[in-house]
Amino acid sequence: MKHSKTLYLFVLPGLFMYLLFFVYPTLNGLVLSFTDWEGISSHWNWVGFDNYKRMLFNDDIFQTALTNNLKFMLVVVIFQTSISLIFAILLLKNSKSNVFFRALYFFPTIISSISVAFIWAFVFNPNVGVLNLLLGKAGLEALAQNWLGDPKLAIYSIAFVKVWAHAGQMMVIFVAGLQSIPEELYEAVYLDGATNWQAFKNVTWPMIAPAATIVVAYTTIQSFKAFDLIFAMTGGGPIYSTEILSTYIYHTAFQGSEFGYAAAQSMGFMVIIALITMGQFKLLKGRSS
Amino acid sequence: MKRGVNMKKITVTILMFLISALVVAGCGNSSTNSGKEAGESSGKTTKISFIHWRGEDVKVFDGLIAEFEKANPTIKVEMNVFPSEQYLANAQAKLLDGASGDVFASFPGAQFGSISKAELYAELSDADFAANYSPNLLAAGQKDGKQLAFPYQLVYNQPIYNKTIFEKLNLTPPNDWEQFLQLCETLKKNGYIPIAFPGADIGPGQFINSMMMNNNTDEDIWAKVESGQAKLTDEWFVRTLSQFKELNDKEYFQKDSLGTSKDIAGSLFAQEKAAMLATGSYMMSGMKQQNPNIELGLLAPITVAADQAVYEGIHTTTFMLGVNALSKHKDAAIKFLAFLSEKQNAEKYANGTGQLVTVKDVSYKTPELQHSATWMDKKTRFQPRYLIANAANEKAVTTSVQAVIAGKTAEEAAKNAQALIDQNIKK
Repeated sequence: MKHSKTLYLFVLPGLFMYLLFFVYPTLNGLVLSFTDWEGISSHWNWVGFDNYKRMLFNDDIFQTALTNNLKFMLVVVIFQTSISLIFAILLLKNSKSNVFFRALYFFPTIISSISVAFIWAFVFNPNVGVLNLLLGKAGLEALAQNWLGDPKLAIYSIAFVKVWAHAGQMMVIFVAGLQSIPEELYEAVYLDGATNWQAFKNVTWPMIAPAATIVVAYTTIQSFKAFDLIFAMTGGGPIYSTEILSTYIYHTAFQGSEFGYAAAQSMGFMVIIALITMGQFKLLKGRSS
Repeated sequence: MKRGVNMKKITVTILMFLISALVVAGCGNSSTNSGKEAGESSGKTTKISFIHWRGEDVKVFDGLIAEFEKANPTIKVEMNVFPSEQYLANAQAKLLDGASGDVFASFPGAQFGSISKAELYAELSDADFAANYSPNLLAAGQKDGKQLAFPYQLVYNQPIYNKTIFEKLNLTPPNDWEQFLQLCETLKKNGYIPIAFPGADIGPGQFINSMMMNNNTDEDIWAKVESGQAKLTDEWFVRTLSQFKELNDKEYFQKDSLGTSKDIAGSLFAQEKAAMLATGSYMMSGMKQQNPNIELGLLAPITVAADQAVYEGIHTTTFMLGVNALSKHKDAAIKFLAFLSEKQNAEKYANGTGQLVTVKDVSYKTPELQHSATWMDKKTRFQPRYLIANAANEKAVTTSVQAVIAGKTAEEAAKNAQALIDQNIKK
């Protein structure tokens, strides 16, 4: 009994850090969300639930940002998960060439998001960008687009960059999951006359469920918080078409000087992420069990 | 027994850590320097902090600071530069802290309003150096009859044009909207992009000023829009958006202008592919650096008939220098501000950075500055966009420009922008 009490003390430093850097700011944000603090002065007024009412019923941009977030998340989750899984299957064996390609695909992960954003903003540039230039040289001018300037296209262009930057990282998780599948299971299904697709459906996919759960949950949270990439590539524009919740919160607080309202938006953002993540875990947990 | 001793040590260590952390946290805000100007009075060096957003001016400021420190050996100036996009966020935190930003730059309009509301500007109404400035250029830093900041730069937020191209095609700055369209058409027919428009970032916010200046000459128009007394669906604003749409539909902007940033639009202009650049005089020195052979001038589109035009252009007095009311070194900070306000130092700043200044009787050395200075005698209007108090409303307005360029009708774009403003009024 005494021994276990002692162990609790080891948790204290971590707990203290968690309380100081997570719980305290979160609670502070919660308090702030009931005020009209504009970020500079030492005076503010309590406004009750006004900020929350405004967020839910009187702010079209918040709804637009949420819709953009969901669009972005869906595209990134679907493509990042499937592409990383395909890469992992193709590069599963530890041959020299596979190890090289794994390292190559993982490489974008180690570049900072801001650098990735600047590189791709330049690639996508309609006037001097290399993408439209290459399409033109290949005789595919018709495919050249205003990648970041077209409000209908911009969010998908950024989603592509997100997938490019992180598919390699997710591939590594899938490779680890795939390599842990016992070879005997494949031998058994192939002896029973299964096709490759049947082997994937009945062995690979169920066995990598824990890895898929991690990949999907991580990708969801990351795509919801893709602040740096969007901020550096489009700043939320044009016409709010790439404004997501995190960039909108930033704009509300630091450009609009409405810290109280931005705090309410942050609380809403936290609840939305928690709900989506919980839903995903429930869904994937059910599947994996 | 040994485990007991180790446990005791660990417990004591953890408690010490927690207590010291709490003590440090608790003392954070209360450790103030009660001795005002302690450093100066004791003859020790006083360090003041100067924060601003103009990275391109660092070299010139370094020289000025060195001269100031030579003349004032007991004062050291530490300069910190934050990019303009993040300036607001950084400056607020620094000013509230009081330990930095003894002298700080701020933007006119909404930011000046927020900082003055928070009472973070030390009043400078009685400062002797106020007489060094052109009195008609100080209003942006005044509130309730008090001078809280000194706008240091004078900027013309209207298109720059390439004089050589204009002369080659026998073109002159237009006097009305028809002439402006003809000018653009001639440029287009001769293979030039008439207007390089950075639609992805600063373009809409800059060009809307000169596009609307004569469509609605009421100085209080934005205050009226923000209070609900006027609407963006009113004729003047819809007309302004229609004119933007006309320029876009006739391909007077470069292709895919909404994907073009300030730097790329600047390059198109500096390479003489575009004849006009829809930004402002603040980009002239950069253009000249990129292409030393380029001859530059300023013009503004007159969007009405010549006899109805009230204004010839747009000006902004910005880079407003103030002293932090929470500064512990106010006297030293004011001394530095006084130094920057001296004619010879303002002259060094102006000619070194290629910016016009609000200080009187400064002699400008470059042809671009000399040309820009001629605009001081013209009838220009203070940048209307800066008179939009709410940043979300300002964004709704500039976004409506992007919307018409993206294909919406002027009426639809104006209606959508008004809907956002209505929400901000109702909040």
